[in-house]
Amino acid sequence: MSMIEFKDVEKYYGEFHALHDINLKVEKGETVVLLGPSGSGKSTLIRTVNGLESIEGGQLIVNNQDLANPKTDLNRLRKDVGMVFQHFNLYANKTILENIMLAPRLVLHRDETSNKKMAMELLDRVDLADQANKYPSQLSGGQQQRIAIARSLAMEPKALLFDEPTSALDPEMVNGVLKIMREIAQDSSMTMLVVTHEMGFAKQVADRVIFMADGKILEDAPTEQFFENPSEPRARQFLSQIVH
Amino acid sequence: MQEFLQAYSWINMRFLLNGLWITGIVSVISILLSFVLGSVLGIIRYMGVKYLSRIVGFLIDLIRNLPLLLIIFFTYFALPKIGIHLNVITSTIVAMTVFESAMLAEIVRSGIKAVPKGQLEGALSNGLNFYQALWYVLLPQAYKKMIPPIVSQFVSLIKDTSLATIIMLPEVTFRAQTIYAQQPKFIIPMFLMLAIMYFVLNFAISRLGGYIDRRMAS
Repeated sequence: MSMIEFKDVEKYYGEFHALHDINLKVEKGETVVLLGPSGSGKSTLIRTVNGLESIEGGQLIVNNQDLANPKTDLNRLRKDVGMVFQHFNLYANKTILENIMLAPRLVLHRDETSNKKMAMELLDRVDLADQANKYPSQLSGGQQQRIAIARSLAMEPKALLFDEPTSALDPEMVNGVLKIMREIAQDSSMTMLVVTHEMGFAKQVADRVIFMADGKILEDAPTEQFFENPSEPRARQFLSQIVH
Repeated sequence: MQEFLQAYSWINMRFLLNGLWITGIVSVISILLSFVLGSVLGIIRYMGVKYLSRIVGFLIDLIRNLPLLLIIFFTYFALPKIGIHLNVITSTIVAMTVFESAMLAEIVRSGIKAVPKGQLEGALSNGLNFYQALWYVLLPQAYKKMIPPIVSQFVSLIKDTSLATIIMLPEVTFRAQTIYAQQPKFIIPMFLMLAIMYFVLNFAISRLGGYIDRRMAS
């Protein structure tokens, strides 16, 4: 069973055809990077995976749950599928430590001692243990994003979705975030779907690259093949504009 | 000058201050009740529950567009016709609560809407259900933003209790009227004293609200 499977998925915003006949499989433990020009539907696609966006046609199975079925319990799904956003979305009213501990406490009913222990270990892992009692607004963007990743990991998800996690960061902050993402990708049990413009990261970490334009998947290829010899003219054009 | 000194005799002042106490009690009970009711209504409206949110929205719009005086008439003169007899204090509290809940519901709804959408998405993606997201993430941030409008609503509520003189609630304005009805030359001193009392009370509340707002912001 794949972790994520799109079959003929369609998505509209009113008249606008946002996702067009999407077919895509992501296997357990795989790291897949979504590339494409802005407005190509990458973010919409990744947001359908945890039900932040609904789909209008086709089938979408994530962690054995059918997202086309309105009766599917999205909450149960989201326990296992974390998401990291472009703008971090840390809880502004909670400290860093509370940001990480809230969902495990409320959703997983993890006991307070082990919850705190795990949160501190995660903070240590993202190198921010000394910031535990600060509020998100007191941290830099890069630090906030590392916390957001730690918050997702605290739920011990099976899959993580990254929606342009470094796009809102100052250049000097990007590497710290990518380093953590690389480490997560090395964990062979974690499935990762990443929308990014970081070509270096894609080349180094992705098992496969999906290239999208105008709401369609134009190319789905192993990473090396995609960067060496993309078959689609649009993909070639895209790469020539980005890779220097 | 002479009539001012006479007007502000200890007996009159005590009579007025007791009225101010009633103004205060009625206001505090009304604001507490309408805070709870207004929050519930505002949240229902924010959530967009099928039919229910529409009905609540209609009721809120209806009440917001009626004069408070008319609502006071309803609770005091109309409710007894259907067998509900309330004394003046209770009638005023009920009328005020109905009116202020509608006002607060709108403040609460726009307060929640003003919290960036990413907060809800972050919470949902983190595994929280909608109610957990609302309770632990959205509402704490929304109420913080709502302190200034809620305080100014509270101040108008205190001023509006004077409308209940019409059903003879013995609050401070009614008592001032009682005094100058017996002694017409006290009319100006009484108006002046009312102005001072309302101003001191409301200005103090505004200042306190501002202080809390700044404390919460830091």
